[in-house]
Amino acid sequence: MDLNNVLGFPILSLSIFLPMLGALIIWLFVRGDQAVRWAALAVSVATFIVTLPLAFMFDESTSHMQFEELHPWIASFHVNYHLGVDGISMPFIVLTSLLTIICIISAWECIQTRVKEYMLAFLILETTLIGVFSALDAILFYFFWEAMLIPMYLIIGVWGGQNRVYATVKFFLYTLAGSVLMLIALLAMYFKAGHTFSMLAFMDYPFDFTWQLWIWIAFFFAFAVKVPMWPVHTWLPDAHTEAPTAGSVILAGILLKMGAYGFLRFSLPMLPDASHYFVPLMVVLSLIAIVYISLVAMMQTDMKRLIAYSSIAHMGFVTLGAFMFTGIALEGALFGMISHGFVAAALFLCVGVMYDRLHTRDIAAYGGVANVMPIFGAVIILFAMANVALPGASSFVAEIMVLIGTFDASTITQAHLPVSVKWVAIVAASSVVLSACYTLWMCKRVVFGDVKKESVASMKDMSVREFSFFVPLIVLVAWLGLYPKPVLDVLHKSVTHLVAQAKTSKLGAATALAQAAPVLVAVRHERLKERNN
Amino acid sequence: MANISFPYPFPDHLFALMPEIFVAVVAMALLLLDLFIAREKKAITAYIAIATCLTAAVLVVQAMMPEPTTAFYGFFMLDHFAVLAKVLICLGTAMGMILSVNYMKDEANVGEYYVLMLFSMLGMMLMVSATNFIIMYLGLELMALCIYVLVGYQRDRLRSNEAALKYFILGALSSCMLLYGITFFYGVTGSFNFIAIGKGLAAAGGDAYSAVMLGLVFIIAGLGFKVSMAPFHMWTPDAYEGAPTPVTAFMAVAPKVAGFAIFIRILVDVMPALLHQYTMILTVMAVLTMAVGNLAAIAQRNIKRMMAYSTIGHVGFIMLGLIAANADGYAGIMVYLTIYLFMNMGAFAIIILMQREGIQGELLADFAGLSRARPGYALAMGLMLFSLAGIPFLGGFWGKYVVFMAAVEAGHLYLVLYALLFSAVGAFYYIRVVKYIYFDEEKVAFNFQESRLMQATVLVMAIAVVALGVYPDPLINLCKQAVAGLI
Repeated sequence: MDLNNVLGFPILSLSIFLPMLGALIIWLFVRGDQAVRWAALAVSVATFIVTLPLAFMFDESTSHMQFEELHPWIASFHVNYHLGVDGISMPFIVLTSLLTIICIISAWECIQTRVKEYMLAFLILETTLIGVFSALDAILFYFFWEAMLIPMYLIIGVWGGQNRVYATVKFFLYTLAGSVLMLIALLAMYFKAGHTFSMLAFMDYPFDFTWQLWIWIAFFFAFAVKVPMWPVHTWLPDAHTEAPTAGSVILAGILLKMGAYGFLRFSLPMLPDASHYFVPLMVVLSLIAIVYISLVAMMQTDMKRLIAYSSIAHMGFVTLGAFMFTGIALEGALFGMISHGFVAAALFLCVGVMYDRLHTRDIAAYGGVANVMPIFGAVIILFAMANVALPGASSFVAEIMVLIGTFDASTITQAHLPVSVKWVAIVAASSVVLSACYTLWMCKRVVFGDVKKESVASMKDMSVREFSFFVPLIVLVAWLGLYPKPVLDVLHKSVTHLVAQAKTSKLGAATALAQAAPVLVAVRHERLKERNN
Repeated sequence: MANISFPYPFPDHLFALMPEIFVAVVAMALLLLDLFIAREKKAITAYIAIATCLTAAVLVVQAMMPEPTTAFYGFFMLDHFAVLAKVLICLGTAMGMILSVNYMKDEANVGEYYVLMLFSMLGMMLMVSATNFIIMYLGLELMALCIYVLVGYQRDRLRSNEAALKYFILGALSSCMLLYGITFFYGVTGSFNFIAIGKGLAAAGGDAYSAVMLGLVFIIAGLGFKVSMAPFHMWTPDAYEGAPTPVTAFMAVAPKVAGFAIFIRILVDVMPALLHQYTMILTVMAVLTMAVGNLAAIAQRNIKRMMAYSTIGHVGFIMLGLIAANADGYAGIMVYLTIYLFMNMGAFAIIILMQREGIQGELLADFAGLSRARPGYALAMGLMLFSLAGIPFLGGFWGKYVVFMAAVEAGHLYLVLYALLFSAVGAFYYIRVVKYIYFDEEKVAFNFQESRLMQATVLVMAIAVVALGVYPDPLINLCKQAVAGLI
């Protein structure tokens, strides 16, 4: 098999294991909180620099996997250490390495206990996240997917808020229960597809319809929990609320994307017919996420909870776009994932800035913050507008693309829905109003108005360090909002390929295979007989 | 064999028996030698015993031949499978002894303690090499009698006595069941030899059916007791809780290895004709075992009791390998047991270290704040617990993976689904201990009775669990090769 790697150098392995190696060195050799902070920052910046060639040397003209690496790992079970990225996964690797830097800077002052463990947990988390997005072997994917639970469990549980134990155990068990179903699906596919765990081989193998349905359901539980989709979303508000700021940032920025990424990597290309079959389910759940969860968000009194629900609503858009089977909707969904990574991360950081000052996330405890913190007021309003998907922000591009794609959804989606997709698009468009409601209402209560409380009056504006981690986010949100072309170019070929895969039914090939199977078995028997004779 | 000649009169076939002879001789010599070792220097006895175990492991590997060798007219067999099982048994026993050195140093008559462990190891080694029910039973009883005494070794502690008595009565009952089952097979086939019985059962007519079934049920019940399969698990929590902690660690690993090894051999050699029947029985028992182990563990407040139920849960997962009844399944069992040896011994090493003045360190709450007091031990314990829960990049994941994969291969998809759901349930009680270690504040000052030996043990176990988690291929290959000759 030819490996497509222009660099001729295991850059993906390096980006995966550099944080791990850095964590090991920090664990063994670095002493003192301040030294640990700087060392962790150095490692994360180095990782970011290592991931940059992925973006700059990426070949946009192909949908093939790039920067591939392939080594046997567990030869007895045909498990390979197979890495590679395409336009769908590459942006998330860069996003991960960028957000990790921001997480580490944001923890500079607010984490004062067990600084070393905190930094180690984040660096190891980075390893697993980059691993998930670059794995092309299903077991390798699962390996990183599950390993991620350990650092995240500790991050929420050790440095979280008051109710952290409940939140982190809930997070752990929800995710674990979801992903064990994925494991059994992978094992079943291994034997069905002829003793391989290669995700690319799974995409090509014609699974028959019943088979696809069951596998799809198993995957669905794993991914839906992670997205999260209604009704298995309840772990997210708890986890977000209790996690430390940086934990929320990485959770909203990257972890939520893993679920949607799973749908795009596994469900759509490997099980196209089941994906068609389950279009109504996905559309209904997505619309519930968009409408109902937006209403829930409106009623929250805790800022982090509000943003958490808003994240679920935005992820509803992503899952909706994924199951429209048109290039523009899928591209919009992916763009939405990237954009949400910046916007939600920034909003959680804003809450973190306020929390560091007053140690409460309660909306009612604030009011008139803009009067005492003008710079901060400007920043939070900017990101609130981005959350509402105002034109000029990256999220606008994403939402408009998903909405256009939904209006213009493929005949496959339409054929599986009892009503016209136009209605779906209309209901989804209500998000524009609803997200404005909850976001702006929160802003009104927190940022604007007169300063009524003494505690608020004593708040100091952002420090240079705090402002510094907003700068890249502001630049990126505005840049992608005004000129999204570079990212869309990266996505385009891979998305087109994915849509083609998702639209093409595997049933014809499956039937052909089923008809050929008895013949093949007969041939094999003949050969065995000959050999025995 | 033929090209090996000895300068002294030594029957060729006894070469295969060398490790057992060595252990028996050293154990008896140690019993005498111990009388001459001063009370405060009893650690010497321990070190001799540990060295014996490790030497025995080396001898076992030395005695291995490319082809299976037999001794005593086929009553004793040394094949690759037996070699692997014996190495694991020797390692498990050595680990149990290492954990005992500090723990048992204040007990009276500590010398005999190690001798008993050696004899029980000898029993297990005989057991896994048995080719017929008589040798198997001899080995089994030698093992069990020693462990009964070991469980009750702390004579002045009520719980230890109670545990020993319960274990002994139930153990004796299960041995009776096993013997009763064997008599049925003997009655039908007229032989004690595994292979001969296997052939006899395959040829047995319909009129012998009820006798065969009774034999099957009683034998599975008797063996099931030894490896604590539900519903024959009742003794496990009490015995584990009451026994001295190093004995708990020892009996959670070594007898399980021996029990599963002989279970595999019996299923493969004796019962191929009864595949359908025993799969059905084992499936029901596995379903029960996984549920009992994983659910009851949640309710425990004592870590030794929790580990007892955790063992039952793991036995439930391992049973999937028996049910799969293919080479991958049996290899998976050996992989699982190897990894289980490392993670269980590591966890128990830290539990033993937890002993503080006036506190046994056995309650889950006693772990509160360990991560602040001793970050190193906390990390090691965390790794062991996540590994037991089966989270990747740690060895425990691959143990489950290999067994589950074999079961899927054999077509038991629903059973694997059930097992996976229970492994998620099981994760809860492991991460609850992590919660105490990492999230809670220290209540009582920690006061470890440390030694270099224990530190090294914890370190080695932690490294083993991580290394096997990242690169399990050599172990899996080894187990596959060991099992290849079996079928």
